[in-house]
Amino acid sequence: MKKRQEFYALRYKKDGILNFSDYRRLRYKILYGVMIALLFIFLLIAIFPLFYLFVQAFKTPAEMQSNIFNFWPKEFNLGKIIDAWQKTGMATYFINTIIVVIGVILCAIIFNGLLAYGIGVLKPRGSKFFYTLILGSYMIPAVLAIIPLFAMIAKMQLINTFVPLWFAFGANAFYFINFKNYFEKIPKELIEAMRIDGCGELTIFFKLILPLSKPIIGTIAIFATSAAWGDFLLPNLVLRDDSMFTLMVKLFSINATMGTVTGYTPDLLLMALLLSIIPQIAIFFVFQKQITGGSLDGGLKG
Amino acid sequence: MKHIQTFPLHKKIKHGLASWSLIIPGLLLFTFFVWGPLLFALIMAFTRTQGFEIIGFVFLDNFKELFSLPAFSDALRNTFSYLGWSLLIGFIIPIIIGLLLAETVHLKGLFRIGIYLPSAIAGLTISILFTYLFDPSSTGFLNNVLKWMGLAPLKWLEDPNLVIPLIVITMTWRGAGATALIYLSALQQIDTNFYEAARIDGAGPLQRAWHITLPSILPSISVLFVLQIISVMQVFFEPFVMTHGGGADRSSLSLLLLSYQLAFTEGRADLSSAATIVLFSIIAILSLLYFLLVRAFRKKGYEV
Repeated sequence: MKKRQEFYALRYKKDGILNFSDYRRLRYKILYGVMIALLFIFLLIAIFPLFYLFVQAFKTPAEMQSNIFNFWPKEFNLGKIIDAWQKTGMATYFINTIIVVIGVILCAIIFNGLLAYGIGVLKPRGSKFFYTLILGSYMIPAVLAIIPLFAMIAKMQLINTFVPLWFAFGANAFYFINFKNYFEKIPKELIEAMRIDGCGELTIFFKLILPLSKPIIGTIAIFATSAAWGDFLLPNLVLRDDSMFTLMVKLFSINATMGTVTGYTPDLLLMALLLSIIPQIAIFFVFQKQITGGSLDGGLKG
Repeated sequence: MKHIQTFPLHKKIKHGLASWSLIIPGLLLFTFFVWGPLLFALIMAFTRTQGFEIIGFVFLDNFKELFSLPAFSDALRNTFSYLGWSLLIGFIIPIIIGLLLAETVHLKGLFRIGIYLPSAIAGLTISILFTYLFDPSSTGFLNNVLKWMGLAPLKWLEDPNLVIPLIVITMTWRGAGATALIYLSALQQIDTNFYEAARIDGAGPLQRAWHITLPSILPSISVLFVLQIISVMQVFFEPFVMTHGGGADRSSLSLLLLSYQLAFTEGRADLSSAATIVLFSIIAILSLLYFLLVRAFRKKGYEV
């Protein structure tokens, strides 16, 4: 019954440029068919490279060379996963990445959250200036001045540590704006009540504001996870020892050093790519409502 | 904040201090990670450096030296070439996808999730994957597609005329879905009554699209337009990964990539900072132009 409704959905379409009354005419029915066909083409373009990666990663090197258009490997040899996992030492890089991601989530929430509560709700005298300054840097991502940043990190002897990677996410204008917009909607009376009870601002923040802000915290955490998982520029500069590499840095290094010396082959690289992508896709499917729902106010990220 | 006025002065000061103590950690991080490096780049651009240590003030010498580098003119031209291609390819496609998603009622979930999926994957992995797809050898995927179509193989990323459009295609492939969803949400906020009224007045679909849809999403278009300009001007890791640092002939070298190489391969942090400041100035000028334009249009009553 639901299928049937979906099939005849055009008859009930009330919104948009074209609605049910237009779709009575054949030319618009044809146009609709063209639109659906275009969407299928875009879908195919979006999915195909990932599908191809999946197929190629499971092929043997000989199979990869023989027939490019063979869109299914002879067998899904799960041994290949284990083989690639061990040869590239993936466990270390996965653990490093997870350590980075956890630190990033904490920093992104606590520092941007405190800043947003201070500037958005408490508004002490003089804080408006910094608000303008933060808004001004919203358009200019930190990557622009990554070289002086690296020099400053080196000066503080933080090279080859995760510390700068964690704290870099504590200064994010995008997260800040979203926190601020959310905190401003929290009823002031609740804050007043806690103040009258003698609570300090820090206590109010952790005991009242954060528990009331679970939706925005969740959304920021998802965005921070995905950003930190794929973060490459700063980690690539900061992390020097192979044992400290995150997944992205390692993938870059495998890609750059493929050959007989390292023993890294193209099929190994593809399998490593696939292994690094799977958690990202998993996160996306679990949280796709939050990710695609436009639940963030400043959701314009180019 | 009404209650504060009823508190004595020392309470007010205490409250102010408590508020600032929450703000300061975040401000320190912004200083260290965002404002400080920019300021540091500005200082280094006008000084001579050894490693990253400043050893003397040189005024505009770094800029003179930078402008005389052949690599700089290449990088500047390439950066605008990235911008041009990106506006040509990457700007229109998300609008089209957004419109298609808004106007269709079948398989909504499939299309939305599928087309967004590339945006959920890290840029680095995508750059490596596309480098593999653009393999210029006879076993490369796209060369085999060409062979199957009876066409001659291409050099792909090794072809200086193709490399920038191909990198832009890679960036668009990743970003288009997410941008399309922003347009979709703008399109869904259009009041259906507008369309109804236009229909009653006898406006055809094209007139409706022109007089209702376009003005309604114009603010989104204009914001995404300027954000895209800002982000493409800073193209860096795609050529860094896909052409191993801009290619031997510098055909995909961007300004930010040049800045990186000046600092880390040439050991010239001062020149590198000068390049960063040049890029920053271009972005700042373009952003300023945008805001002036928007203001001018708003004064005339256009909602952009």
